[in-house]
Amino acid sequence: MILAVSGKGGVGKTLVSSLIIKYLLENTNYKILAIDADPDSNLPESLGLEYEKTIGDIREEITEDKVPAGMTLQEYFEYKLMSVLVETDRLDLLVMGRSEGPGCYCAINHILRQAIDTLAKNYDYVIIDCEAGLEHLSRRTTQDVDVMLIVSDLSKKGINTARRIRELANELHISFKEIYLIINMYNNEKIDFEEVNGIKVIGKIPYDPLVKEYDIKGIPLIKIPKDSPSYVAIKEICKKIFK
Amino acid sequence: MFEDIPVDVSPIYEGERIRKGQYYVELAGPKSKGAELARVLPMDEVEDERVTIIGPDLDQMQEGKAYPFGLYVKIAGEDLETDLEGVFERKIHYYLNYIQGFMHLNSRDIIWCRVSKESYKKGLRLYHIGKVLIRMYKKEFSAIKKVEVVIYTDPKEVDRFVEEARKVYAKRDERLRGLKDEDADVFYSCLLCQSFAPTHVCVITPNRPGGCGAVTWLEGRAAVKIDPNGPIGVIEKGKCLDPVKGEYEGVNKYVKEKSGGKVQRVYLYSLFEYPHTSCGCFEAIAFYIPEVDGIGIVHREFKGATPIGIPFSTLAGQVGGGMQSNGFLGIAIEFMRSPKFLQADGGWYRVVWMPKALKERVKDAIPKELYDKIATEEDAKDIESLRKFLIERQHPVTKRWKKEEVKEEKVEEKKEEKPEEKVQQIQFVQPQLAQAPGLIVPNFTIILKNAKIYAEKIIIKKK
Repeated sequence: MILAVSGKGGVGKTLVSSLIIKYLLENTNYKILAIDADPDSNLPESLGLEYEKTIGDIREEITEDKVPAGMTLQEYFEYKLMSVLVETDRLDLLVMGRSEGPGCYCAINHILRQAIDTLAKNYDYVIIDCEAGLEHLSRRTTQDVDVMLIVSDLSKKGINTARRIRELANELHISFKEIYLIINMYNNEKIDFEEVNGIKVIGKIPYDPLVKEYDIKGIPLIKIPKDSPSYVAIKEICKKIFK
Repeated sequence: MFEDIPVDVSPIYEGERIRKGQYYVELAGPKSKGAELARVLPMDEVEDERVTIIGPDLDQMQEGKAYPFGLYVKIAGEDLETDLEGVFERKIHYYLNYIQGFMHLNSRDIIWCRVSKESYKKGLRLYHIGKVLIRMYKKEFSAIKKVEVVIYTDPKEVDRFVEEARKVYAKRDERLRGLKDEDADVFYSCLLCQSFAPTHVCVITPNRPGGCGAVTWLEGRAAVKIDPNGPIGVIEKGKCLDPVKGEYEGVNKYVKEKSGGKVQRVYLYSLFEYPHTSCGCFEAIAFYIPEVDGIGIVHREFKGATPIGIPFSTLAGQVGGGMQSNGFLGIAIEFMRSPKFLQADGGWYRVVWMPKALKERVKDAIPKELYDKIATEEDAKDIESLRKFLIERQHPVTKRWKKEEVKEEKVEEKKEEKPEEKVQQIQFVQPQLAQAPGLIVPNFTIILKNAKIYAEKIIIKKK
């Protein structure tokens, strides 16, 4: 199952991604692949993992490297991907890294996507922390996603992004099996809607001072106590998604 | 066929990754070293069905560690040619991945393998790996009569084997580089970029990689096998109409069809008349410089201006979009290493200017006697300084000038010939005219797609 977390920048995508991963690690025996697709995010830090190289790095390397004769570019990519994969017991991590340079990446990205697909088949769950905004949709990097979670605060901009994601997905004929909205930093405001543009609100994460504290101190969010309000809310959401 | 192998052997295990928590040992890979090699040998030098292990087997290894690993497959058969070695060697990757709990990545001296704990516990040993290889080869290739496998895990033996293997790879690569367009049975096409440039059809031949540099002929061949209905297609070459310019009947037919009739003919090895189109994805641009009758090449990373006064980005606008523009060509950097590189126009001997970084990068491909004669941004910043440099260094194009000058003096009418024509057509890239390029070229086309035009009045005048 592939689950993508998207939304406007700074609304808490990484919080949601890392706490969903925490839930899966604590409550299942599944193998998980986390993909950090946001060049500005800090999913590795939130998960307490260190990485050396990113997919962006190998994408640049591959145009310089000579692919050994007889091997296809995709096979070579598969090897390179494996070499940047951060491996732990049940959770592995891929970091997309810097965005593209000035070169042309049509063919390269197409091949890269196939290589990631091959790798992803080895996991029970793939969690993608998408880049802010909507580019990942138009570039079709989130085409075969089963569950799309859109995170938003109650600001108009955040909600508008959610709306646009739905519209753009329709325009590009991308269909998610399920699509939900998560309201983050919820402070008991009155909410007079249960859905936005047909996207059902699946849960609300209350404002949690501990999240900020962890952020400032550099403690991985995945270590947040089980009874902290944000994690309690995520657990409820997870129960609905992974029923 | 594999009853005596303690684990499953089947294509369903292809793409299986053995994760860190799951592996018993790593063989070769980034933490150790190793290589694989397949050779076609005389019948009497191969002992059929034999598997030899030199060094410790899996049960003598420590869990969680990485070990050196060499895999040598000796193959014999009356009708086998050594040219097939590369194909046979690549099969190792597929066959080994058929084994449940065995992961094989990459090729040659950068292989990386893992054996899962589970399969090790079931009794999988290196001997079985050899047996699987032998049986798979014989099953798939009836021409193979004998197969012998030697597996090295002893560190010193692996060192020696890796060195030996590298020598074989080097020889093989040399031969492969010799593969010519005229030897290929088919060409390939890539239509990945048609979403940006609907009339662009990329023709990929052994001597001409795709302009983006990502898709080579070998890559095309492999891609078609994996996904016959994908963006890479097969072009039947058809008759060769012009071996120098690189015009093929089959290519013309294919391009005409896939470009919706927009492009009728293509010269694969020339900048002029019917040059190959580009989508916008190219690593470099070759452009004609009429004032010196030579060719400049600029790559994407170069941010400065070319001697004709404009940078890569502006030139790119002239070349891309699936249009044939006489005197301009989007190319892959690897194309500069091709024996057919601008063959019809004089090849390297016509190249007069390149950015220094690019010149350095393809140094191996530039004829030695020419290297110091090609100007860089440090030698020439405009046409005048370029001309001076070329005269000073006696670049071969200067001989062309003399010829033309002589011609002009002797036969007045000859002036009307091709070089003049080229100059005329190419003028439109001059920066001062760049604002309205289409209107200055004779025979220009304007394509409007999904366009709505509202105007009270339109006036088009001939100057």
